[in-house]
Amino acid sequence: MTMDFKPDIKLDETFYKVKEVRRLTEETFSLRLPKSRFTYHAGQHISLGIQGDYQSREYSIYSGENDECLEVLVKEVEDGYFTPKLSKLKPGDLVEVNGPFGKFKIDEKKTADHKFVFVASGTGIAPFRSMVRTYPDLDYTLIHGVRYGKEAYDKDEYAPDRHILCTSGDKTGKVHGRLTKYLKSASFEKKTQFYLCGNSNMIFDALEILKDKGFDRDQIHCEVYF
Amino acid sequence: MNSAKKKIAFKTLGCRLNQYETDALVSDFDKAGYEVVDFKEHADVVVVNTCTVTNQSDQKSRNTISQAARNNKGSVVVVTGCMANNYKEKLEGEDKITYVVENNRKGSILNLVDGHFGGELIHPEKLHADVFSYQVVDKSLHTRSAIKIQDGCDNFCTFCIIPTVRGRAVSRPLPQIIENVKNTLANGFKELVITGVNIGRYEWEDKRFEDVLEAILSVEGDFRVRISSLEPDGFGDDFVKLFSHPRMTPHLHLCLQSGSDKVLLRMRRMYDLKQFEHTVNLFRAQYPDFNFTTDLIVGFPDESEDDFQESIDAVNRYNFGHVHTFKYSVRKGTRAERMDNHIPDKIKTERSTRIREASEDSRDRYLNSFLGKTETVLIEGINKQQVANGYGEHYIPVHFKAEGLEKNTFARVKLVKVEGRGEDARVIGELVG
Repeated sequence: MTMDFKPDIKLDETFYKVKEVRRLTEETFSLRLPKSRFTYHAGQHISLGIQGDYQSREYSIYSGENDECLEVLVKEVEDGYFTPKLSKLKPGDLVEVNGPFGKFKIDEKKTADHKFVFVASGTGIAPFRSMVRTYPDLDYTLIHGVRYGKEAYDKDEYAPDRHILCTSGDKTGKVHGRLTKYLKSASFEKKTQFYLCGNSNMIFDALEILKDKGFDRDQIHCEVYF
Repeated sequence: MNSAKKKIAFKTLGCRLNQYETDALVSDFDKAGYEVVDFKEHADVVVVNTCTVTNQSDQKSRNTISQAARNNKGSVVVVTGCMANNYKEKLEGEDKITYVVENNRKGSILNLVDGHFGGELIHPEKLHADVFSYQVVDKSLHTRSAIKIQDGCDNFCTFCIIPTVRGRAVSRPLPQIIENVKNTLANGFKELVITGVNIGRYEWEDKRFEDVLEAILSVEGDFRVRISSLEPDGFGDDFVKLFSHPRMTPHLHLCLQSGSDKVLLRMRRMYDLKQFEHTVNLFRAQYPDFNFTTDLIVGFPDESEDDFQESIDAVNRYNFGHVHTFKYSVRKGTRAERMDNHIPDKIKTERSTRIREASEDSRDRYLNSFLGKTETVLIEGINKQQVANGYGEHYIPVHFKAEGLEKNTFARVKLVKVEGRGEDARVIGELVG
């Protein structure tokens, strides 16, 4: 039976049953939830809680706006409080979702005539997968910095000529070294919109490099992970 | 009400928005026939409008609640405000508190209290929830009235509990704002302060903050407009131009929070120091005396001595008229709570002292730069010696001899001498003409 929902109902927080815990590496997994009536813009994040637990954490949405599932990307932190619990979730377990939040979004007016450069470290790739899946015609380049090539999550979903993998711990990436090494050597068109997502040290360094290259701070959008 | 006039007292802690909401409640109860008395006097009902933005505010709120209950045994004690949201269950368990009312139901407290005295006990959760359903403030309270245009915040700065206690960002429909402005002016107010939690993010239909400001400035009447507090992200030339309107006061409270870009990133602020500086320069190029006041947090997790020095440098560089400094304090449930390298309190206190000194110097310099100039002061009060006090358009506190003048009128005053320092600093002036 299909339920007809009133269109004026605005969801702010609600519980969802876990659909799937999709393993990507030993430590990293994506958590798939039914999307139901939840609407969001690619790049936004949610706050996620586990039923019965008083804590919650924020995660960028990993799925596209039109995907069937609401998905987040999680790396388990050894000795952490929250991620080991998320990692043990089974289909049918309940999680609480708050949101969506954030202004880290694509400016739709710019999609037709701007280039987009996405710069991510580790699981900071999450909002960019959402953007790429939502805007299939986007003229983008994704620069993804990880330690090992196996951490190039869902790599096959990106066109090879748009995906620059930088690996600092092995030589499996297109670039051997940190993504900042690539950023320093790369040149970008003047009318580029930059989106940075990852830990604050990477973002700080990348911001400095881009500002040194003459890009305006208004062209650079940041989402810091902690 | 069925018996003798009931007495009600209010106490407000925290921000201007809270103050506005209390003022509106006072007007509400006054109109309903209650006698509003001072917080120190015995009352049948005491409303404590709390704040939870720092540990210190929690402590102050707790003390005030205890004081209210102690001084008014057997009276109705209503606790509302952000602490009521943040510690709802704990407060509901305290015998000395009669009702705990969350922020979104604050505007319905009269219903609750009226019901109580009529023998109808309503659970506060049954009250109507609307963050904008407040009475127009009565003019007897202040000379300035806040106009609430927005509530809540979606920014989720890593140090801040406000999105949790004030909720998601919500904007008041523009027609309601304009109606509120007209009614407020009809009550005799001469200065309107545009207020909310994050007013720069106003969004109602296709209207943005600049549109609201423009619409308010177009209302007829003898008044001026001040903006309470803004996040320093991305102002365009149109916004700067609005300040050339004769009703706009040349003052903005732009919350910098830190002078270090590294710290700003970890705070999840949406700007860097260069952008902040760009805004300051943009305004001062057009209005050289423009008053910027700001907030700075000292001792955010992992703040190095160099980071802190950048905050001091910012204070020295931007000629702030006032800097409100806060020692960082952990707010449960925020992202900063879980960050590494929390700064020991001793260092936070020491940095706080240093930045306060720089801030007082900055305020002193700013106020002294006005000597010999003339300000339009809105008179807030006149004492027995016929000395008036009030603020000039640049938000400069002015005292001057005002024989024959009245409260809530504008006076042109030449500024002649700065007295006092820091929070107590004021400028002595002489009436012109």
